[in-house]
Amino acid sequence: MLPSSEHTIGPFFPQSFFREGDNDLRRITAEAAPSIRGETITIHGVVLKADGVACVNMVLEAWQADAAGRFNHEADPEAHLADPDFLGWGRAWTDAEGRYAFTTLLPGGYAEGNHTRAPHINLSIMGAGLMRIARTTLFFPQGNNTADPVFALVPAPLQGRLVAQPDGPGRYRFDIILHGGAETPFFQD
Amino acid sequence: MAERFDPWPEGIQPNMPIAGYPNTFSHTPSAPLIQRPATRTERTAPARLSQKLLCGDDNLAVIAPGRMAQGQLIHISGRVLDEDGRGVPHAVVELWQANAGGRYRHPIDTRDAPLDPDFIGNGRVLTDAAGRYGFFTIRPGAYPVPVPQTWWRPPHVHFSVLGPASLSRLVTQMYFPGDPLNDLDRILQSVPDAAARARLVAAMVPPVEVGLGWLAYRFDIGLRGRAATPELP
Repeated sequence: MLPSSEHTIGPFFPQSFFREGDNDLRRITAEAAPSIRGETITIHGVVLKADGVACVNMVLEAWQADAAGRFNHEADPEAHLADPDFLGWGRAWTDAEGRYAFTTLLPGGYAEGNHTRAPHINLSIMGAGLMRIARTTLFFPQGNNTADPVFALVPAPLQGRLVAQPDGPGRYRFDIILHGGAETPFFQD
Repeated sequence: MAERFDPWPEGIQPNMPIAGYPNTFSHTPSAPLIQRPATRTERTAPARLSQKLLCGDDNLAVIAPGRMAQGQLIHISGRVLDEDGRGVPHAVVELWQANAGGRYRHPIDTRDAPLDPDFIGNGRVLTDAAGRYGFFTIRPGAYPVPVPQTWWRPPHVHFSVLGPASLSRLVTQMYFPGDPLNDLDRILQSVPDAAARARLVAAMVPPVEVGLGWLAYRFDIGLRGRAATPELP
């Protein structure tokens, strides 16, 4: 048998690194009450590799602004106004069907230079077979995405692949296709 | 002082996909990466992440009082460095590795090699004010890659660093100096630049400086810039 699955090689990102609540961006600690300064949403989807095969045990990390578009970080001039109860970061991993999910608040957009960032979530995907972190950005269908300086860099026919799809109240679906077919656009910073 | 985020220099990042590593063909995006400007989202990262990811687990060699892992005791320490070579304080450093027999304690690793009941194989610490970190652990074993033209992963340790900017998030691997498998490792050899490859190999600290307890290795991790540590999965 020609081994082709994940058990041929590392990394075996340890499962004990994950704790309940790591995929909830609204909590600054595992035990903290979630921030309620915004609209709670669920982001979910699958990670697929070539030929639409599910990727098992992939690690995803999400990073985003708070509901008002601010970061609790010195690089944000309005950091002092940022939601102190919102972490904005989360980690999830895919199950046997390649599924992942995050709970968060709908991010706000923000002005930067002459541009306005539309509401978005940066996603990093790591795991066996990926030699570098795959970095992409999720946008929302209601956002003014065409004015966003990152969205605008993506060839127009592919832009729709970065827009999460409404999937019931407070739910958005965002599938990540690493290779082939409707491959997700990926970025380098 | 404003942070600089220069473009990646040539030769630091691995060439992909890798012959003899089938997963890299099925996982590597086929379209070129789109260069993204460093807006606020990329220049920031969570403050006080150590409240969410509990840190302080720096001893993989001792699972409980009196229960020590099998293998050669080692200590790995170094500094996390920014683009200008300054230490990065309060970065989260995660480490994971195979046991002395070259097997991971993970349901996905079903290889026929012994599991050590006294070794789990992962830890997480926060760098100090000077950007220093350290772990006590054991030297991991090598393990084979089951492809027709078999090659072996040399002993290596995985590192994950979460620093002050999400664009400098780094996952990499540390190798041991002088191991003959290093030159045959398709993952290490995928890094084109020899100096960049050398940055993935730890330096042994002279035993006379360390004493009797363990062998010690120094491994500095550059998050960006000309002296960056290459990304490896």
